[in-house]
Amino acid sequence: MKLLLGRASVLLFFALLFVFGLFIFTAKYVSNASAWAHYPTNQHLYAEGKLVSCGNIYDRRGSILCQVKDGEVKFHTDRAVRTAVMHATGDLYGNVMTGARVAFRERLSGWDMINGVYSFHKQAGAGRDLTLNLDADLCSVAYGELSGRKGAVGVYNYRTGEILCMVSSPSFDPETPPDIEAEPEKYQGVYINRFLSATYTPGSVFKLVTAAAAIEHFDNIEHILYHCEGGLQVGGDVVTCHTVHGSVNLERALACSCNAAFAQIASDLGAGILQEYAHAAGFNTSLEVDGIRTAVGRFDASDAVGADLAWSGIGQYTNTANPLNFMAYMGAIANDGVRITPRIVKDKGIFSLINFSAVEKKRVLSSETAQRLKRMMRNNTISEYGEDNFRGLELCAKSGTAQVGGDKKPHAWFAGFLDRDDYPLAFVVVIENGGSGASVAGPIAAKVLQAAVQ
Amino acid sequence: MSSVVFLEKLKRIWILFEELSCSAGSFFTHFGLVTDLYTFLVRWIFPVLAITIFLRCILPLLQNRGRKIVWGHLHMQDGTSVPLQHWENSIGRSRLADIVIDLPFVSRSHAVLTFRNGKWSIADLKSKNGVEVNGRRIEATEILRNGDIISIGGVKMELVLANREKGGLPQQQNSFEAPLRQDVGAGYFHEISQNSNAVRAPLAMRRSGSRQTFFLILLFQVLGGLQLFFSMGVEANPVVPLSFFLFILAECVHYSIMSWCGWKHLELELLCYFLCGLSLSVTASAASDSLLTQLTAILLGFAAYTVLLVILHDLERAERLKHFLAAVALVLLILNLAMGETHFGAKNWLDLGFVTFQPSEFVKIAFVLVGTATLDKLLTTRDMSAFIGFSAVCIGALVLMRDFGTVVVFFGTFIVIAFMRSGDMRTIALAVTGAALGTVAAVSFLPYIASRFAVWGKVWEHASTSGYQQTRTMIAAASGGLLGVGGGEGYLAQVAAADTDLIFGLLAEEWGLLVALTAILVPVFLAFYAVFLTKDCRSSFYAITACGAASIFLIQIALNVLGSVDIIPLTGITVPFVSRGGSSMVASWGLLALIKSADNRF
Repeated sequence: MKLLLGRASVLLFFALLFVFGLFIFTAKYVSNASAWAHYPTNQHLYAEGKLVSCGNIYDRRGSILCQVKDGEVKFHTDRAVRTAVMHATGDLYGNVMTGARVAFRERLSGWDMINGVYSFHKQAGAGRDLTLNLDADLCSVAYGELSGRKGAVGVYNYRTGEILCMVSSPSFDPETPPDIEAEPEKYQGVYINRFLSATYTPGSVFKLVTAAAAIEHFDNIEHILYHCEGGLQVGGDVVTCHTVHGSVNLERALACSCNAAFAQIASDLGAGILQEYAHAAGFNTSLEVDGIRTAVGRFDASDAVGADLAWSGIGQYTNTANPLNFMAYMGAIANDGVRITPRIVKDKGIFSLINFSAVEKKRVLSSETAQRLKRMMRNNTISEYGEDNFRGLELCAKSGTAQVGGDKKPHAWFAGFLDRDDYPLAFVVVIENGGSGASVAGPIAAKVLQAAVQ
Repeated sequence: MSSVVFLEKLKRIWILFEELSCSAGSFFTHFGLVTDLYTFLVRWIFPVLAITIFLRCILPLLQNRGRKIVWGHLHMQDGTSVPLQHWENSIGRSRLADIVIDLPFVSRSHAVLTFRNGKWSIADLKSKNGVEVNGRRIEATEILRNGDIISIGGVKMELVLANREKGGLPQQQNSFEAPLRQDVGAGYFHEISQNSNAVRAPLAMRRSGSRQTFFLILLFQVLGGLQLFFSMGVEANPVVPLSFFLFILAECVHYSIMSWCGWKHLELELLCYFLCGLSLSVTASAASDSLLTQLTAILLGFAAYTVLLVILHDLERAERLKHFLAAVALVLLILNLAMGETHFGAKNWLDLGFVTFQPSEFVKIAFVLVGTATLDKLLTTRDMSAFIGFSAVCIGALVLMRDFGTVVVFFGTFIVIAFMRSGDMRTIALAVTGAALGTVAAVSFLPYIASRFAVWGKVWEHASTSGYQQTRTMIAAASGGLLGVGGGEGYLAQVAAADTDLIFGLLAEEWGLLVALTAILVPVFLAFYAVFLTKDCRSSFYAITACGAASIFLIQIALNVLGSVDIIPLTGITVPFVSRGGSSMVASWGLLALIKSADNRF
């Protein structure tokens, strides 16, 4: 029988093949089971493609942003509010991938690998509740201020990371979704949360990165003067400036956003150093906001020489920036150079002890550099944007008017923070093809921030 | 994560109790709460029970090595003595011979000593230097007596039979049947073992161990039946508890008969009782109207198993059965082709007026039996034409029926049996190449097969069309988690064929991934067990039946499970013992008898 024992190994071989197949399945199960369970045809959790077996979504003050009542998904009672926070909650059918109803569906439905979708006594409510850091009313103010223009507004606490305001426009009322395909222009990219998932040419707000490099690399930077005659000859090209600024130092150059001065600084620094500071400021990497990865802003000056290098230091060339990521850089400047990663989900009670969710922090600037940038940004407000427009806010800011080529209007940026201990807030406002940063995005920031500190 | 969920659950239960104490709810809300509490508790118990049952069954089967029965000895010239442990013993220089004589003038495979019909005989395997019995060169086969001197290529040895103190060979042929009731050869044969105490002492313990395991299985089934009953709420169907009750009764009777008749190592049957219980559960979830049919199939399975086991126990009878069943199988296949009915794309159903069944399920038993051969035949003739011919007919008929899943099962089993019989890699390679070409042909010419291959690996892109069943299976498996949502609480049961082709998803959703994986590991274990049995088999006949039957189980479950979760293309095939279906259930018990009969320890 020894002979047959050897030959019977074919059967063992088959058995091992099957076991191997089971291992592949188990590996797939471990990595994909959540996605399988949350497939919109799963009747345990979904009805007609809508996630219905889930807990409520609250904002930081406890108002209900989304709930399921008698099998129907209900959003905030105020139409303006639910439209403003639509990108945060997500729509009915899970089209907004970064919305809580998709991104945090596991927490909402209560699914886990051990229990599956099981919930004890469904009548008592299935799934788990979720509280967001958002202030729904603040979001509503911000969305109102955008008044239909495409863009994004974000405000967060740069000490704790809590995102108080996150608005992306265009949006729609999630309870009565419009026919999106009928108006492609109006609803262009409506399912995208521009704050998290879009990138725009940064324009002059990028000068805050170039300035950080200049502060650390040039001795006596405050005494160096740059000469602007409405532009600067770099190589064979001219880097244009919107006006003639004359002789300016770094602080003055930042305040009046002098392209000529920053073209000179960028050329003097060289591509390598700019690349390094852009990386530290969060370019070429994405942040993870409670598991949601933001879009990656790009800075690549490795092949840039002459005017291209100069333009890249002014935030043009091939640069792009993600609003949330840039807001986090503002937060870092405000917070002595330490960037706190923004967070959208609020921990509550004892669960925060169980859930490992320590605030993620990273030093991106030296404390001294951050202080100097802060002073310069404060000076921007006082000398350029007008303290009257931002009364009581202790605003430190930088505007940006990013040229996008063609005959389109530039993107309007306004980013910065409040230098206040009671309201340690950093913010960003971006209006797509909105025009001048200071005059278009600035007033929106003023309204939102005034509402935030009330 | 789970601790959070757990805390939330506690919170919810508390809220519910508060609600209950405050308001006098109607009876049904109370009933609902009791049901929920029940599910909440038992869903943790099922996986623990399933894994415990599985381990308690497989460990005794593997740990207690077979009592090696010694049928006689060969006394060599140098004073050593070689035990004869099988009914068929090959002698030769080869390392793989049962009795190795490593001398240059002994052929690699020289002779085979066979016990058949109460007589020992020796056959010369065309050796170079021949075989002599009592000094006389033999031609082909020679009957031997106690004390005969055999010379293998000049090496002399004396045949001393174990029952010599009884004065000769076993008188009647059926002296090997009697032991069905009592210890086989207590009077006749020695039992040897490296550590005989270790084998004998735990015998009583093993029996009670098996009874405890049986109790755990009954517990699983009682709790499972209640869970299903509760899950139906106010529409509860009394057939559910009734069929579970009858099934448990039948199990107890069958188990008692088996142990009263002296069969040992009933863990093998226990594993299958467990799977049958799961089959009732899935039937209750997906097709509660068919519960009594399924129960009847299980009872028929018990009967077929017991009868087949008794017949197979005697090698002569088994050989006769093989020819009879081969003839029946051919008739069934012809009938099927002539008047078969088409269900789900395959024309593999036969309606005899009073009963509808799938002939191909029963042909499996005949197929394995036809493939068998005793070692002397296997080593002397090396002729497999009958088996190859029979296989060709079966596979051809199945292709005509368009039952391609079963074609793969038959072909895989053909490979296993053919290799066990010939040991020839080239033949196997040839067969596999042929099959590969056949597959290519099938995929290119049959749109039905081609669509299965086209969607393979991309089921989520076709989730509502050709990938429907696979995606629903994966959704269900993920919804169940490790513990399941509770019997009868799943949604996969509403999908067609959930209780046959997608059984893995149904089990995982309602009873949890742990129970589902445990259930599908049973056939894997049976494959290992069949190979394990091969070593101490009396006859190569049983070694081949065991491996062939295990191969059928294994390939079926592999095609079913891996197909339903998109690791391989989907094929409509049943899972032995678990899927709903009468033919499959009865045939599975028949095949199990083929495995059991290879166990010397019965």
